[in-house]
Amino acid sequence: MRARVVLGLATLVVAGGLVLDMSRSAPRTAGSDHVAPLIFSASLPGAGSVCQPVVSLPRDAAVAQLTLGTYGKPVPALTLRFLTGSRVVAGEGRLSAGAHEGVVTMPLHARADAEAASEVCLYVEHPHGTTVVGGEGVPESPFSERVNGRTAPGQISLTYLRRGSESWWDLLPVLSERFGLGKASFFGSWLLALAALGLLGVWVAAVRLLARELGGASSG
Amino acid sequence: MRRLAPAGLAAAAWPRSRPDLRAARFLRALLRRVPRAGRACFLIAFVNAAIWGLVVPPFQVPDEIAHFGYAQYLAETGSPPPQVVAPPYSDEEQQTLQSLEFFNVIGRPELRGIFDRAEDRALRSAFARHPSPLGPGGTTSVTDQPPLYYALEAIPYWLSPSSNILARLVFMRLLSALLAACTVLAVFMFLRELFPHTPWSWPVGALVVAFQPMFGFLSAGVQSDNLLFLASALTLWGLLRAYRRGFSDRAAVAIGAATAVGLLAKLNFLALVPGIALALALLTWRERSRGRLPALRSLGCALLAAGIPYGVYALLNIYVWHRGGPTSGGIGAATSSALPSGEVITLNESLDYVWQLYLPPLWFMHHRYFATYPGWEIWLNGSIGLFGWLDYRFPLWVYEYCQYIFYALSALAIAALVRLRRRLLGMLPVFVCFGVMALGMLGSIGYTGIRFRLTSGTQFEQARYLFPMLVFYGAFAVLAARGVGRRWAPVLGGVLVVAAMALGLFAETLTISRYYG
Repeated sequence: MRARVVLGLATLVVAGGLVLDMSRSAPRTAGSDHVAPLIFSASLPGAGSVCQPVVSLPRDAAVAQLTLGTYGKPVPALTLRFLTGSRVVAGEGRLSAGAHEGVVTMPLHARADAEAASEVCLYVEHPHGTTVVGGEGVPESPFSERVNGRTAPGQISLTYLRRGSESWWDLLPVLSERFGLGKASFFGSWLLALAALGLLGVWVAAVRLLARELGGASSG
Repeated sequence: MRRLAPAGLAAAAWPRSRPDLRAARFLRALLRRVPRAGRACFLIAFVNAAIWGLVVPPFQVPDEIAHFGYAQYLAETGSPPPQVVAPPYSDEEQQTLQSLEFFNVIGRPELRGIFDRAEDRALRSAFARHPSPLGPGGTTSVTDQPPLYYALEAIPYWLSPSSNILARLVFMRLLSALLAACTVLAVFMFLRELFPHTPWSWPVGALVVAFQPMFGFLSAGVQSDNLLFLASALTLWGLLRAYRRGFSDRAAVAIGAATAVGLLAKLNFLALVPGIALALALLTWRERSRGRLPALRSLGCALLAAGIPYGVYALLNIYVWHRGGPTSGGIGAATSSALPSGEVITLNESLDYVWQLYLPPLWFMHHRYFATYPGWEIWLNGSIGLFGWLDYRFPLWVYEYCQYIFYALSALAIAALVRLRRRLLGMLPVFVCFGVMALGMLGSIGYTGIRFRLTSGTQFEQARYLFPMLVFYGAFAVLAARGVGRRWAPVLGGVLVVAAMALGLFAETLTISRYYG
C-alpha cells in the first residue's frame, strides 16, 4: 500500500514537472540557413551587399539573427532581402542604424511564397566603416557568399525566430510537423503524437508493474 | 510477390518440420521460465527504446553513420568492408547525410536539420535520383570491428518494406531496441540470481537500467554497442547462474555462446576475456566434486562454444575477406605501445593515466592528465546525459543534484552491503572474477584513451564504455533501495525507478527541443 501511494505521488510530481516545463514561454526558433557564426566570414568596407543561396525562408520566420562586427561603431542601417528564383521578394527585414555590434536581431516580414526563396542578400545602405558578418569559411562554390557581386570563400549565418514568446504547448502543432520531416514518411506529422502515446503507455505499464510487484512486498 | 506467394501458402499448408517444432517448443519453454515481471520489463524496455528511435533524428546517435555504412555494405555485398582507402559511405548514404544537413548539425547545438517542408522536399528529390546503396567500403572508425552486429542488421535492412534509406534505418533501429530490451531482461535475470529472496528488486533494477537516459539514447541508433551490452549482460548472468546452480554442460555452452557473441560484436569485449577465463577456471574447480572429467568436459564445452565461432570468423577474415589478421588490425592498433609518430608511451605513463581516469592522482604522480576529476565529468555526468554527437546536455544544476543523490545512494548501498555481507560473502569468488572483468574493461579504456589523446589531442573516453557492466548499475539501485531497511526498501526502489523514468522522459523532451524546437 505504502509503495503504491508513494509511486502515485512520485508520478504526479513528474507529471507536474512536465506540465511546468512545457508551460515555460520563450522565443522559439523558426530555422536557420544551417551555418554557424564561427568566424567573421564576410567583410563589407562601406556600403555594399553580401548575397548567398538559401534552400528556403521558413513561413513562420518573424525575426532574423545575425552576428555583426563594426569595430566599436554603431551598426549601420541594414536590409535583408530574400529573393525567389524569378527575383521576386519573398521576405524582407530592415534594421535602422544605431544597434550595438554582436548578435543583432532584425524584424522580418515573410511573404506567402517565403518557402520559394532561393537567395538572401544583406545590404549595408550607406557608406560607413567596415561591417563584418559572422558565418563559416567554406571553399568558393556556387553555394558560397558573393560580396559585392564577387564570389568569396564563406557563408554568412542566419537564424530565424518565430514571432514573440511561446510555450511548448503553443508550439505543439509546429513541433508535430517538424518531427515528421527528414524521416521515413510512415506517419508524417502524426509521428510525435504516436511517440507521446507510446510513452504514456510505457509509463502506465511500468507504474502498474511496480505497483503490483512492490505493493505486496511493502505491505508484507 | 508472385514468387513469394506460393512459398507462403506452402508454409501455411504443410506441417512444420521437426526442427521447427523443436525450436518453437524450446522457445516457449524458455519464455515460461522467465517470470511475468521479466517479460513485462522486456516489453516496456523495447517500446521505450523504440520511442527513443523515433525521437532521435536519423544518424544523430554517435558513430551511427559509420555503423550504418558497415551494415549497408555487408547487406549489399555479403561481406564486411575491405579496409581500403576509399570513400567510406555509399552515394545513397552520403547524399542523405548532406540533404539532412547532418554535418552542419553535429557538434553545433544551435543548428537544426530539416526544419520545413521545402527542405524536406529537397531531401525527397535527392532520393528520387536513386543514388547507389553500394559504396566502396572505405575505412571508418568501425571497419576493424567484427561483423556479427552488422550481419544481424542486414536482416531488417532487407526486410524493410521500402528500399528508402530512412525507412531501412527505422527497421534497423528497431533491432537495436530489441537488443536493448534483451539486455534489460538479462539484467532482470542477473538480479534474480543475485537477490533470489526479494523478487520485488528484480524489476526495480531492470527498469532503472531500461530508463537510464544514455542507455535509452544509444538504443535509439544503429550502434554495435547494443549487442556488446547484451553479450556482456548475458555472460555475467550466465557466470553467476553457473556459480549458484552448478556448471553443467548446458550452462557452459550458454556462457561460451554469450562470450562468442561478445567477441563477434565488438573488439572491446576482449577486455573482459581474462575475467571470464578466471571465472571458468573457478567454476571448473568448484565442480571437481562431480568428478574431474565432467568438470573438464563442461569447461571444454564453454571453450568450444566461444572458440569455434571466433575461429571461423578469424579464418574467414584472413582467407575469404582478406582483411589482414584474425582481428583485422583492431587488436594491433589497440595494443601497440607506440604512437603513429613513433613516440613510445611507457608502462608508467599508461598506468598513471588509467589511475587518474578513475581516481584522484596520488602524491607521486607528477603529470596531471585531466584538468578536472574525470570521475564526475566523464563518468557520472556522461552517464546522466551527454547526448547527440556529444553536443547537448541537461542544465548544469541537474548534474549537481544528481551528484548529491549519487552520494546518498552510495552510502545506502554500502549500508546494504554491510547488512547483506554474510549472504554476499558466499559469492565473493565469482565477484572477484567480475572485478577482473571490470578491471580489464577500465584498463583497456585508459590504455586506448592515452594513445588517442596524445595522437589527436581530444578526449576518447565516454560513459557508454562502462555500459558492458550495466548489470551492476541495476544491482547498485537495488542495494541502495535495500539500504533503508526491509520495510521501506520497496518504496525507495519504486521511487528510484520513477526517478529514472523522469530522467529518461526529460532527456527525450531535451532531445525534442534540441532537434525540433
